[in-house]
Amino acid sequence: MQEFESVLGIKDLTKKFKDFELNIGELEIPKGFATALIGENGAGKTTLLNCLAGTRLDYKGEIKYFGKYVNDERENPENHVRESIGFTAPKGFFLQHWTVRQVGDICELLFAKFSKERFEQLCGEMGILEGNGWKKKVSELSDGNRMKLMLATAFARETKLLLMDEPTSPLDPLMRDKLCNMIREYLEKGQGESSALFSTHNISDMENVTDYCVFLDRGKVVEKGFVEDLKEKYVLIKGEKEDLDGIRSAMFDVTENRYGFEGICLAENLDQLAGVRLSKETPSLFQISVAILRQNASVR
Amino acid sequence: MILLQNSGIPIYQQIADSFREDILSGKLKQGEYLPSIRSLAKELKISVITTMKAYEILQEEGLATGVQGKGFYVNAQDTEMLREQHLRKVEESLGEAIHAAKIAKLSGEELQEMLRMLLSVDES
Repeated sequence: MQEFESVLGIKDLTKKFKDFELNIGELEIPKGFATALIGENGAGKTTLLNCLAGTRLDYKGEIKYFGKYVNDERENPENHVRESIGFTAPKGFFLQHWTVRQVGDICELLFAKFSKERFEQLCGEMGILEGNGWKKKVSELSDGNRMKLMLATAFARETKLLLMDEPTSPLDPLMRDKLCNMIREYLEKGQGESSALFSTHNISDMENVTDYCVFLDRGKVVEKGFVEDLKEKYVLIKGEKEDLDGIRSAMFDVTENRYGFEGICLAENLDQLAGVRLSKETPSLFQISVAILRQNASVR
Repeated sequence: MILLQNSGIPIYQQIADSFREDILSGKLKQGEYLPSIRSLAKELKISVITTMKAYEILQEEGLATGVQGKGFYVNAQDTEMLREQHLRKVEESLGEAIHAAKIAKLSGEELQEMLRMLLSVDES
């Protein structure tokens, strides 16, 4: 499962800030799948997504879109690159005094392939229109509804790539589930040509829609791979407390309590645990993520 | 298809098992296409990569073949191989029965008697 076609190819992407540097040597985002961008606050997820979405252009390096368009070619209208990318950001980019109806009208003007019917349908399905929803101003919407509105505008467009920065944070559980369904539907409709990339802290909620994962730490990619492969690479181990000291060095990440320990071991190191009474399980994506992020954090 | 979240059996394995049963029982016929990986993922509310892995297992077992851009179709079932698979299943199940009988301290004769009885019930 290692080989795949890329929807985004990143090469030596750097963006320097005063106290932070994003530095992505080489990263490919697979075409036709949903990819999750996982990392601590300040790891560089938003900066990376902004570079990819083209809302930030002051970076160095190369981003290849849809397997062929690099840098300037993205701006050539004939290549329809911008038109093919949907983007949502946590703060939103609609003016505060626009009404929900106006947001629809403006998106229709801005984007060539925006379906107003689909927009209305999505707004209805997501419950933005309750009461006199059409007349509500963006400033009057709750955080959750503002995110729903932005998702509605993104999903109402005909795109090949969706970039979503923290779409789940302000959403309630029901709506997170709905978003997962919307992403799956989007991927299905694209028949392998449409891709989604989102950053999230709600790993458990998004696990069942995530195909590929990229872990960021302090501006660098520290791990990446298809979820099913990661679940073979990392193994969840539980054991008795007295056995821990003998095998601690073989463990990737471990936490202990008064009675026993639990941790993640790389599958390739499992033979070093031979002879010790342990339970081995397949970890959840959440458990893998915590181990990876904690390991990188502790290097500091 | 019923998928169990916490059974200890990976979801992709459960999906592969379910399709395998349908293929071996003839419910899914030779040449028939399996649902596309993305529509199956949507219906089952799981990730695309999980369904893909399930189909890869079926392909490795020779039960289905993937065609680039078209999906996976059910292979012609070699009747000899099919019978072999069924025989293995019977053997496995009988092995389980023997194991359970031992725990219940059932003698070989009693077990055979039970099998005869069940067979006659099944035939009548």
